[in-house]
Amino acid sequence: MIVEGNVLPVDRANVDTDQIIPAFLLTGITSTGLGVHLFKGMTGGPDLLAAHPDASIVVTRENFGCGSSREHAAWALADRGFRAVVAPSFARIFQENAYNNGVAPVVVDAAEIDTLLAAPALRIDLENETLQIRHPELVEGRTLKFSLDPLRKRFLLEGGYLEFLANKRDAVRSWLNRDRVRPG
Amino acid sequence: MSQSLFEKVWDAHVVEQLPGGNALLFVDRIVAHEITTPQGALEIEQRYGDELFDKSRIVAMNDHVSPAKDTETAIQAKVLRQWAKRHGITLYDIGDNGICHVIAPERGHIEPGMTVICGDSHTCTLGAFGAFALGIGTTVQTGAMLAGCVVLERPKLMRVTVNGRLGHGATAKDLALYVISTLTFKGATGYAIEYRGEAIDALSMDERMTLCNMAVEAGGTTAMIAPDETTFSYLRGRENQPKGEAFETNVASWRALRADPDARYDRELTLDVSTLRPMVSWGTNPGESVPLDGRVPADADAKSLEYMDLAPGDALRGLPVDQAFIGSCTNSRLADLRAAGEVLRGRKVSVPTIITPGSQAVKRAAEKEGLHDVFQDAGALWTHSSCGPCLGMSMGVVAPGSRCISSSNRNFPGRMGAGARVHLASPAVVAASAILGRIASPEELGPIGSLEKVGAERLR
Repeated sequence: MIVEGNVLPVDRANVDTDQIIPAFLLTGITSTGLGVHLFKGMTGGPDLLAAHPDASIVVTRENFGCGSSREHAAWALADRGFRAVVAPSFARIFQENAYNNGVAPVVVDAAEIDTLLAAPALRIDLENETLQIRHPELVEGRTLKFSLDPLRKRFLLEGGYLEFLANKRDAVRSWLNRDRVRPG
Repeated sequence: MSQSLFEKVWDAHVVEQLPGGNALLFVDRIVAHEITTPQGALEIEQRYGDELFDKSRIVAMNDHVSPAKDTETAIQAKVLRQWAKRHGITLYDIGDNGICHVIAPERGHIEPGMTVICGDSHTCTLGAFGAFALGIGTTVQTGAMLAGCVVLERPKLMRVTVNGRLGHGATAKDLALYVISTLTFKGATGYAIEYRGEAIDALSMDERMTLCNMAVEAGGTTAMIAPDETTFSYLRGRENQPKGEAFETNVASWRALRADPDARYDRELTLDVSTLRPMVSWGTNPGESVPLDGRVPADADAKSLEYMDLAPGDALRGLPVDQAFIGSCTNSRLADLRAAGEVLRGRKVSVPTIITPGSQAVKRAAEKEGLHDVFQDAGALWTHSSCGPCLGMSMGVVAPGSRCISSSNRNFPGRMGAGARVHLASPAVVAASAILGRIASPEELGPIGSLEKVGAERLR
């Protein structure tokens, strides 16, 4: 699967999930329609989004998605049309949430981020785990490699985390009945 | 083969190895609150016939905004309430509820050796019991409600040895801030931390929960402390725990839950806390913390400085504050309230001060000791239990540009309100700062009770 799109340059480190979507907006009981709240907790966030109305790939610095476990952060990104976040590192919980919501957490070397922040658009091949800078007329020859978790890549591309687990229920029951030992 | 505490708990829960270092890991306890549970409960109802894997492993509470503040949060609470009732799930609700990470252990739902998940990043708090406890998103929680398991990549292991004894007004909160400032805000990402050492052995359960609570602020998956007599005493006789011989049989097996002598770790950190003094954060993440007598570092992050309206070299002590908050899953237990009470007794606050107990049971216990009178005589607001001002979601929102000294866990931009500036500290430091209207340590107020022991259940 290819994700091609314009870059939203979020030139800061440690963008926590309170900045991605503040807690006072977590009052719903569904995962839909949260895109309107994206980056409302970030100083200058809404203006940045307005300046890049067609962006579908976030490029940012280290430790993106730190803080609260709220999946609303991934829901808001996905609802707003974002398909990937490119950063040198992610917080664990956000990374899991991103995989489960069709938002690819793409880890690249920190030294590449300045260049990628300045890029107009990117072309990300999720299947082959490669990333290129795209200009209106051409795709740059230089290709960055990244790697996705082999299991979560499946959830990312096809969805189905819940279905995967639902299909494990019998195995879990038999493990409980047969194989479980107390820790210690 | 020698194993760490983490490995013993992890291995006992692996149902199946999965590709990429992932495992299908069995979950003993699911803690479910009203902000992140309804979406999954509704999904299981719609897609999977409302069938839960094992409802007896779930415990629920309305805690983040309770009582509800508006129609939307009332609906969240109602959905959780109806779901719990429909399935016969234990629910802690208005009048008898509390913050998930306070009430779950308080009511005896957390045991050594368990795996615990909750849709809240501070679930690592419960590692204080020698459980593997971690925060997860709604989808992962929903999967556990549906199939009893999570898909999880096994974290690396970091052992943090804490030598010496806390003194000089330094508390578990100061130790937590010290650890995070040493590791940095993301330094433990991908790691499970095991704490050990003289200082850890001496901590009460309330203090251990404070320390483990903030592991996620260094990016850690969890933090764990091997169970010992302190743990067993906390659990013995507690609600939802077996009594008598059955309990002692459990204790006998829990004693094995400690690292073997030559267990291996991916990373080691050794600290000495004998000279540790109270800490305070200056920036916009908890790693940006220094001793209260310290200054904003010369190489401080420019965006943090701008948000906090500070400059390199600025002193923290003496910085005027506009508001104070004591509460949150970090510091809202009885030991914390006692520590604040020691400072506030017979004194008056000079800025708006909110004190929010972590559970209604903590509230009642504090009131039996007269702490509500101490707080209210000092001019502070003594509220019902909830997550409260910590996350700017309901009551006590801090105004833009206002500075709040807080016993909570996050000083992120906008966390306690848009544009609000938060300084993290221990309950005793928050209390002293509330009195003086500026960041201050209790010793500035002269001799105070038994401050040497502040923050500890040893005050009993």
